[in-house]
Amino acid sequence: MNRALLIILIAATALLMAVAFFMPAGPGATVGVASGSALPGFSPKANTPEQAMANVLLDVKRRNWDRAFVGVSKTSGVDERAFIEDWTGSSGSLRTFSNLEGFESRPLHATNDEAQMRVRLHWSTPVGPEEEARDFRLMREGDTWKVVWPHTETASVPAQVIPVDYLRWDLVSGGAEDEWGARNVDAPHVRILSMNAVQAGDGSVVMGEVVNEDTIPAFVNVNATVVDGSGNAIDEESSFDKIAHILLPKQVSPYRVDFPQISLQRVKNVRMDVKATLVPASADPVIGVMDQRLEPDAQGKNVLRGNLFNESGQTVNIPHVVASFYDNNGKVVWVADGYVERALLPQSSEPFAVEVPRALVGKVQNFHVVVNQYSLGRS
Amino acid sequence: MNTAERYSRPIPLLAIVLVALAVHGPLLLMQLPAGSFDTNFHIFFASHYAHHWFNPWNEKWFAGFSQTTYPPLTHQWIAIFSNVVGLKMAYMLVQLIAMLLLPVGVYRFAKIWVGERAASYAAVGSVFLGALAFLAYQAGQLATIASVALYLNALPYFYEWMTEAQGRSLVKGVAVGLAAAAAHHVTLIFGVVLFAGPVLWLAWLDAREERVAASERGVIARAAIFGVIVALGVGAVLLPYWISIVQHPIHQMPIPHDSRANFLLNSITAINYFVIPYGVLILALPFILMRGCANRRLRPLLLGFWVTFIFGLGGTTPLPRWLLGRAYEILTFERFTFWATLMAMPIVGLLAMELLDRFRDKAAVGLALAAVSTLGLALAWLTVNPYRPARTPDVKPVIAFLNRDGHDSYRYITLGFGSELAKVSTYTDAGSVDGDYNSARLLPEMTSYGSAQLTNSKFYGSAGMASLRAMLEHANRYGLKYVFVHDSYYEPLLTFAGWRKIETFDNGETTAWSKDDVPPAHKIESDAVPPRWEGLLWGTLPIGVSILAIFLEFLLPGKRRLPVLMEVPACAEEHYAV
Repeated sequence: MNRALLIILIAATALLMAVAFFMPAGPGATVGVASGSALPGFSPKANTPEQAMANVLLDVKRRNWDRAFVGVSKTSGVDERAFIEDWTGSSGSLRTFSNLEGFESRPLHATNDEAQMRVRLHWSTPVGPEEEARDFRLMREGDTWKVVWPHTETASVPAQVIPVDYLRWDLVSGGAEDEWGARNVDAPHVRILSMNAVQAGDGSVVMGEVVNEDTIPAFVNVNATVVDGSGNAIDEESSFDKIAHILLPKQVSPYRVDFPQISLQRVKNVRMDVKATLVPASADPVIGVMDQRLEPDAQGKNVLRGNLFNESGQTVNIPHVVASFYDNNGKVVWVADGYVERALLPQSSEPFAVEVPRALVGKVQNFHVVVNQYSLGRS
Repeated sequence: MNTAERYSRPIPLLAIVLVALAVHGPLLLMQLPAGSFDTNFHIFFASHYAHHWFNPWNEKWFAGFSQTTYPPLTHQWIAIFSNVVGLKMAYMLVQLIAMLLLPVGVYRFAKIWVGERAASYAAVGSVFLGALAFLAYQAGQLATIASVALYLNALPYFYEWMTEAQGRSLVKGVAVGLAAAAAHHVTLIFGVVLFAGPVLWLAWLDAREERVAASERGVIARAAIFGVIVALGVGAVLLPYWISIVQHPIHQMPIPHDSRANFLLNSITAINYFVIPYGVLILALPFILMRGCANRRLRPLLLGFWVTFIFGLGGTTPLPRWLLGRAYEILTFERFTFWATLMAMPIVGLLAMELLDRFRDKAAVGLALAAVSTLGLALAWLTVNPYRPARTPDVKPVIAFLNRDGHDSYRYITLGFGSELAKVSTYTDAGSVDGDYNSARLLPEMTSYGSAQLTNSKFYGSAGMASLRAMLEHANRYGLKYVFVHDSYYEPLLTFAGWRKIETFDNGETTAWSKDDVPPAHKIESDAVPPRWEGLLWGTLPIGVSILAIFLEFLLPGKRRLPVLMEVPACAEEHYAV
């Protein structure tokens, strides 16, 4: 009995630990907190392309850079620093704030010594989840597979002097105690140019354009309240990040207000409320939007592509584009936005892409893009 | 007294308590737990009782929540002591009392299983447990420690009542057990199975093998009587808690916690949740297993220890997930490791006794080094563990901002403040939509996502940021005007969502952000507001049973008539090596 109990307890413990390896994982672990790596002997060997890819990505997710880099082929021609920077970003870009949260990979083709994998990376970022699809080549080296890391060119900006001649509005406040937004001056005159409510999935969307008609800059928030047939308010939401909040004089911005749970059939009326406040602002950094075109991407989605060009001498850490799409009557039929993961360095450009719903592709005749930006230390 | 005599006597209980005082007293005077994860949470709850003893509805978190969702005993004692020594020192005082009660409890619990000498070694060992230091100084789980300390003190009465049918044991056991329940509900629920189960089994075994005068049927009957009385008592003492949990069962999305990870696949998690809490006890595990198996009287304890040990391993085995179901995603598992170490102590006491008998001074030095290094490792881990915040914010200017110029007529959140959120909330009149207690959350912006506090959103990845985003989108609804940021990670979202930086504090380490069009906060209607009678009950019964237990301990001093045990019980049975 004594010996049997001892053996049973030890065997049961070992068995339970072994079973845990085959159990589905629970909800994801916390992000950005070191959890270490698998204890020696518990890390699966990279004897298939899928396992090699998974090992590298798991270590990247845990930020175990040394271990991750071990899975990279020496033939890649990248050093560990460049490899890390590829994952962690630079220049205060959106990628520098991001954490790899998950991934899925599938083989595109494989031979005995070489394989091609398509990986869908799920990033957690300050502005919401982002997805990225990347293709990787893997090679067999001895009895293990290694990832051939693509060399990424980093933009290099030559030293230069950029003349500054942009417009700028400063604000002289009445006193040190005055809070922003509570100053004793008239609010800028801002007007909603258009409003269109549509059904989107299970919810509804209210969108349109807003203009600053004044000669001073305005900080704008658009709120919408949907009302039912009895005149009762059903829900109130705001444009949140689907608008350019700072509007210079005469500037127009698209806006979109989402009501994810409210079907348009329940809505009889929409009350719009635009709040504007006088704020200091400047036209710098000037960001040009170029080469805009509608086209399908590699996954078959329809996107509006283009390039952002930073005409100023300051780095824009996180550019954000808000695009409005018009039908042939000039009516706003959709508003979409997208963040650019790389920083926009002075006098350089970065591509952007904004998805257009498949059902609207035939309707869209024109589009208009405005650019928001976040710059470290200047928010 | 020669060496042999010196080591053959049990250590007096008073000396053990003084050792606990000498070890933990200075650490608590230094306010070491102040930087732990949950200390500010407990102080926040206590602060509310200090101001509103009979009103458990607290408007400062989650736009209003009921404190009946957490047993109040430790918080109410902090509130009482705070009138004399202030909130923080009152916390330290209650923590110290719990840490002094713990070796007493271990001593009395161990005496059920082993002789007095081994029990005294077990009690001394419990002072130096890594798991105790982990829970007290890193996790700040005051209620767990206080509750288990009381619970361990109640179990000997339970055993005495079952085997000797003494009325005084029943009365005192019930009173101390109810006080334990009033301190922490989770300890009570699991303690019934993990601690009381083996004690019941042992009483039945002792009765069957005629080591005690009671019959097997009598033991079972008296256990049932004890159980029914305690169940009714707990039902009454924590009635508002049961009502709140029935009205608002925890339906929120599971929140990740690293204690549920597979330790074999996460080395740092393994160190944090296994190596640090067990310390040198890891070396004793083979002895615990072998001796527990070899001795019939120790087998119930061993099996209780094994189940608790397996639970403490979190996701390293599937057993907790299988047995707990949905509760697995709500519980955290470091407390099971603590309980496992406590359950192991009687057998560890036997090990210490055998070592001392055999090696005398050398064993004493070795055991002392093992104990001190276990505690020392856990204390050192406080400063080197990767879970500790890189830099805690200075919350004084934030509190001053909220308390001036009518800013407290709006609600606020903090981002990147960690457990300091509770400190801000304690000392400001303004309310927040965030809070540091997951089980009390009812706002859909928080319960619909698999994340905990908004202030720690980024650590919960996309779910955390989605929850924060949902809350910011509804800023106008909740009167959420101010956001205090101690982590630039959150600044892009605030910038793009229409918030503006209005002030900087602490040389720019902390910034205040505001949204212009937010109306003043108004009361959010909730069906979770406890009626007045619940507040009266909550303010009287939990503290009442603890005072009753103290009085009974003095008024009904019991003669301890535990069965005379073999000092080295296992020697009577077969030995073998593994």
